[in-house]
Amino acid sequence: MISIIAAAGTEAASPGFLETFGVNWPFFIAQLVNFIIVLFVLKKFAFAPIQEMLEQRRKRIAEGEDKLKRIEQQLADSEQRTQEAIDKANADAARLINEAKESASSLTEKKAQEAIASAQAILAKAEEAAKAERKTMTAELKKEFGRLVTATTATVTGKVLNDDDQKRINEEALSSVEG
Amino acid sequence: MAQLFSVRIFISVLLLLLPGAAFAGGGHQLPLYPESPFTEGSGLTWISNSMIMVWLAALIIVAFCRVATKKMALIPSGLQNLAEWLVEGLYDFFGNILGEHLVKRTFWFFGATFLLILVVNYLGLIPGVGTMGTTDAHGHFKGLLRGGNADLNMTAAMSITFFLLWLYWSFTEIGVKNFFAHIFAPQGTFTGFMKVGMIVMFFLVGILEVVSIFIRPVALSFRLFGNIYGGEQTLEGLMALVPKYFAFLPALPFYFMELLVGLVQALVFTLLCAVFLKLMCSHSEEH
Repeated sequence: MISIIAAAGTEAASPGFLETFGVNWPFFIAQLVNFIIVLFVLKKFAFAPIQEMLEQRRKRIAEGEDKLKRIEQQLADSEQRTQEAIDKANADAARLINEAKESASSLTEKKAQEAIASAQAILAKAEEAAKAERKTMTAELKKEFGRLVTATTATVTGKVLNDDDQKRINEEALSSVEG
Repeated sequence: MAQLFSVRIFISVLLLLLPGAAFAGGGHQLPLYPESPFTEGSGLTWISNSMIMVWLAALIIVAFCRVATKKMALIPSGLQNLAEWLVEGLYDFFGNILGEHLVKRTFWFFGATFLLILVVNYLGLIPGVGTMGTTDAHGHFKGLLRGGNADLNMTAAMSITFFLLWLYWSFTEIGVKNFFAHIFAPQGTFTGFMKVGMIVMFFLVGILEVVSIFIRPVALSFRLFGNIYGGEQTLEGLMALVPKYFAFLPALPFYFMELLVGLVQALVFTLLCAVFLKLMCSHSEEH
């Protein structure tokens, strides 16, 4: 070994240095071509399919992440829209309830007023009817009272009373009664 | 970890100091150079025993990936899971160094080189690799197989391929002007005499940088070759220290060590390549 290294050392500066290590053109060129071929073979048959698969997977993961982001965004939008719809529905419902309350209140008031008006009209009619009846009865009573006074006067005095007498006697009798 | 490496270095030094002891028991010494297992006149002498191991490693990796990706599913299981974990792990590892843009462009090189070095290193540890072979009439032993990275031709081929790709990637990423500006242009704002001084200084530093750039492939080649060759030599030397029926015993702990070395060296080679590339291409980001 020492001799080999010594030989290599002494021959380092000489053309035979590389020959000590067996470096020669045919072997070197063969190894160079060999290595380049091996590189391309490994690139094509060893690395290409694996790298292609890794790239495909990377793309799918990236796409998946994009989709996830989109879905999350859509979910957030959807939640926002749902919340907005719920808020709007709540507001509408509140407005409708208020309107219904107001409407019910005014309707009740209106019906009450109508009922009062109707009752008042009935009362007025009844009063008018009562007045008319009383008037009729009073007239009949006056008429009957006049006839009785006239008949009584005719019987007591024994004379036949004409229309003027009857009228006068009736008026006097009525005025004394009403007086 | 550091202690284990220290022990390995100690054993290596011991074997160096006792050259006769390790191989006296009939064991053979792993030569520094690869050899062709084919005979002269066959027309195949350009194929070295280490090259066969590289082919074997490439075949194993491709076969594994083909089986793992035969029925690809979006939800992985079994071998697909393992293959994806491996590729994704490497991609993220180099991505952390190079950045998203560069790793997309260069991963095929770093991933393939890492796996190739790793599998080649581990294949070199299979018993028989480096020890199976023929001995000719002159008593010269010729190994049928040899660890792929225990061949300087292979490590140099990888380093020089990276060096050329490094130039191409650097030029296309930051442009030729920025490439040379990164090496030679003064960093910072100076005026007057300081400016002149800095231009001269950075030019000289640039020359050193150019030298270091050209040394990189050499360092990468020799680092990987030295570690793997040294490991194999250590294992063979240790096995030769004891009678052949117990040869596995002294080498056994070092097999675990070599498993670690195989991984670390694959990592170091590709990591350094990635750092060299990032250092040059980060220029445009800084300015």
